[in-house]
Amino acid sequence: MKTFFEFLIFARYAVAAQFSGFPDRRILAQQLYTAGVGSMALLTVLTIFAGLNLSVQSYSTFQRFGGQDFLGMFAGIGGVRELYPVMAAIICGARIGANLAAALANMKISEQVEALEVMSVDPMRHLVAPRLWAVTLALPLLCGYANVVGIAGSYYGAVHQLGLDGGTFVSQLEQFVHFSDLLVGVGKGLIFGWLVALVACFHGYRAAKKEGAEGVGIATNRAIVHGAVLCIVLNLVLSWLMYG
Amino acid sequence: MKKVLESLEAIGALAVFSLDVVRDMLTRPFFGEELFRTMWLLVKRCLVPVGLAVAPVGAVISLQGLELFRMFGLDRMLSSLLGTAIFREYSPALASVMVAAQAGSSIAARIGTMRVRGQIDALAVMSVDPMRYVVVPGVIACAVVTPLLNVLTNFLGLFSGWVFAVPLGGVDHGAFMEHLTAQVTPADLWVGLGKCLLFGTSVGLMAGFLGMRVSGGAESVGKAANDTVVATIVMILVVDYIVSYVLLGVGV
Repeated sequence: MKTFFEFLIFARYAVAAQFSGFPDRRILAQQLYTAGVGSMALLTVLTIFAGLNLSVQSYSTFQRFGGQDFLGMFAGIGGVRELYPVMAAIICGARIGANLAAALANMKISEQVEALEVMSVDPMRHLVAPRLWAVTLALPLLCGYANVVGIAGSYYGAVHQLGLDGGTFVSQLEQFVHFSDLLVGVGKGLIFGWLVALVACFHGYRAAKKEGAEGVGIATNRAIVHGAVLCIVLNLVLSWLMYG
Repeated sequence: MKKVLESLEAIGALAVFSLDVVRDMLTRPFFGEELFRTMWLLVKRCLVPVGLAVAPVGAVISLQGLELFRMFGLDRMLSSLLGTAIFREYSPALASVMVAAQAGSSIAARIGTMRVRGQIDALAVMSVDPMRYVVVPGVIACAVVTPLLNVLTNFLGLFSGWVFAVPLGGVDHGAFMEHLTAQVTPADLWVGLGKCLLFGTSVGLMAGFLGMRVSGGAESVGKAANDTVVATIVMILVVDYIVSYVLLGVGV
């Protein structure tokens, strides 16, 4: 409970720093590169397999009532609205968020943050704000990319492994997956990215010097777990509000 | 080229490490107390995050599935999709991902910290084999705890799916239960539990392996914790797909 209020206070200052002018371009570009381009290989592998699995796994359920041809609709809607944004968020938490938390915690325990303060550089504006912007901007893009790769995976699974008709699959996608679904998915990515970055920065920033190397491990661990759980729960809330 | 060689070296080292762990598991001395302590710690630490992560998934499947199934007037069939999806796929995969995120990274960080502080070497000096005392309990605990958590999350996922289908979605309770019991077989449950056993073991192995390889300072501890999670998530998704594909071919 105490941690939660600490988080709220941190979030207040972090968001104030985030919107208090344009962040340092150099750090922003560097963070965008590590967060965005650095995650693409991992995200590609994961979404291809998630997309394949979405086809292969739901096939048997649809087969029971002869609805195999609706696999395209199911894979498209389920993937774009729910699965790929959440996947991107979990990957983001496991890789980008953990990196952020570890880097900040490391700076904190080696007193680099205090050193910045002594030089009258605001660590919130110098360290936290560019990272928040970088992840908030990178995740929606990654999410859009995951949609493309994931649907390609589903298509391959449905057409080349399960022997369904390719034209039916594509026409199902065209008919049932609307532009608004894509917007919802990418919008979820935006919110998740911001949340994961905020949680990761908070846990990194909270590491105390006396904890030493262990503090870095704890910060990384909490950043991953809290980020993933928050995103999954928030996803339900958002879906409920929009489709319930 | 150097990177390729490095990753090949890591894979080879992982194989040797796994064989070492298996040997140490089967031969004396055993550290039972340490094992139960680790297991209890894992259950305590993972229960809440795993539950919180899997429960919303059932609700989301109901929410989205209901809309799709309603187009064909099949909303009574929803529970068969929900049941198989939860039992076979999402509960085992997500529970294992969360165990990797929570337990795997903290085991790796703990072993890494011990390594950085020289405690692993201290154990070896006292002629306590660090593999048996530190790594093996972690591996066994992950392998046992993940299926146990999966049993719980199966019910949680099903329950949250039921909440969103029956009271909130307006599906008939009897139809929901009938399709659930008719379409979901014990095989679905066993497939899920088997996956969890496999994933849990590999979480423990990966955490032990990357933790023992830590060298240097605080930064590499964080990196080991992070790499454990990333590597196991990749493994879980890839293996999950292969298992589904093979099972579809076999017709289970």
